[in-house]
Amino acid sequence: MAAAALCWALRAARQVLPSSCPRQVRSYYVDWRMLRDVKRRKMAYEYADERLRINAIRKNSILPKELQEVADKEIAALPRDSCPVRIRNRCVLTSRPRGVKRRWRLSRIVFRHFADHAQMSGVQRAMW
Amino acid sequence: MWGLAARLLAAARPHGTARPHGTARSKQKLFSTSSVLSKDKDKSTASKDSPPEGAAKKQEDGAETPKQQLLDIIGNMKVEVSYRKKLQQLKASENKKQAMNKVEGLDSEGSVPQGITEDTQRDKPLNPELVKAASAVASSLPHNKKQIESELLAQLRRHEETTDKQKKGGTINIRNVISEMTVKRQSPAQWGVRISGRISLQDEDGRRIRPERSSARSMDSRRSLKVGRRLNIFTKASTEPEHALKTVSSPTIWDLEFAKEVAAVTAQPPRNGFEEMIQWTKEGILWEFPIDNEVGMEDDAEFYEHIFLEKHLEGFPKEGPIRHFMELVICGLSKNPYLSVKQKVEHIEWFQKYFEEKKELLQEI
Repeated sequence: MAAAALCWALRAARQVLPSSCPRQVRSYYVDWRMLRDVKRRKMAYEYADERLRINAIRKNSILPKELQEVADKEIAALPRDSCPVRIRNRCVLTSRPRGVKRRWRLSRIVFRHFADHAQMSGVQRAMW
Repeated sequence: MWGLAARLLAAARPHGTARPHGTARSKQKLFSTSSVLSKDKDKSTASKDSPPEGAAKKQEDGAETPKQQLLDIIGNMKVEVSYRKKLQQLKASENKKQAMNKVEGLDSEGSVPQGITEDTQRDKPLNPELVKAASAVASSLPHNKKQIESELLAQLRRHEETTDKQKKGGTINIRNVISEMTVKRQSPAQWGVRISGRISLQDEDGRRIRPERSSARSMDSRRSLKVGRRLNIFTKASTEPEHALKTVSSPTIWDLEFAKEVAAVTAQPPRNGFEEMIQWTKEGILWEFPIDNEVGMEDDAEFYEHIFLEKHLEGFPKEGPIRHFMELVICGLSKNPYLSVKQKVEHIEWFQKYFEEKKELLQEI
């Protein structure tokens, strides 16, 4: 049974431990703006349910208005970074805030670079 | 050099010979056959240390001293390496034992004390005759005599050990093993089938070749596995009694550390792209194909649990705007296919808690 316990521990360790092979791991973000964007996304994910419920109370014609005002105040009291509106879809590789195609999460310049080197699957220069 | 020692032992076979018996009868018995052997088996490599006496005379009658006989024999010996020789050597050493037992009463010079032959311990002293013979061999050779003698004696000891082992343990008689084996003989037709079978196509000649193949296989399986005498090569593995289950203690920190260490050491980097993809799939980076849309969603609830959520509305007042509001909430949740039942229930409970907190406010209104 000690062997079984060891096996369980091994299995857990295997899942937790990263592999020993050198893989490219992103340990740094491109710049601080990207890091802040990441923080905002995480926070928005955490508070998403609560915001949804409070907004359901607010955007309502059945409940009394006093209740809705209270809900307004409550939602304003939540941390500022928890709202999804502050998230900006930046380029994943260069952190460019503008000119980012949503499907590839890349800015137009990076996209063009990869497409010309034939590293984008199914992307071809248009000619018609 | 070892061939000489081997020859010594081989020479110990008491084959019946036509020699006249003398005082050194046993010695004659011992050494008479070696010359016969040397004549018969001519397949040999050239001996490294050609003895200085290149005695041409091979057999002489009993007037010679034993030592002279021995030296003559050594002169004829050559180094030989063959499996058959070793076999005979082992057999000879066995028979020599028996010969010793027989001869002890008759032998006058170099009498073998009874204790030695019957003593089957490893540390027993060697047969003094053999020791004498070894010293004679060593003296005959030009190089390091002491070293040669000690090596020869060591060889003799080893041979005696093997014979003891053979006597004690189950005899792995090689004759039994070989008797069961037969040389595989194939008819020329089957040769042709085998060769052509590799080249020909399946579609055209498949029908023709397959039945012949099956006949060949049936011929091979003629000798079943369980036929024949037991060879006593393998010892039967004793079935170990199942160990009683030990009491489980929660894995200590040291166990976890050890497990982590083992996992780190055994995790080899992937040798090729396939192994890399396997590793990614295990980690969860790569999805499993064919893609399962419901991975991670283990909603075991039935459809009625999703739709009929009114039973959760028991904590709310039966009339009023709140009830109206909650019924709308429930209607919306029942139409939502993306949430699990648990999440929907959590929504409703949050609302319940929220409205209870705001009860005072609601009373004022």
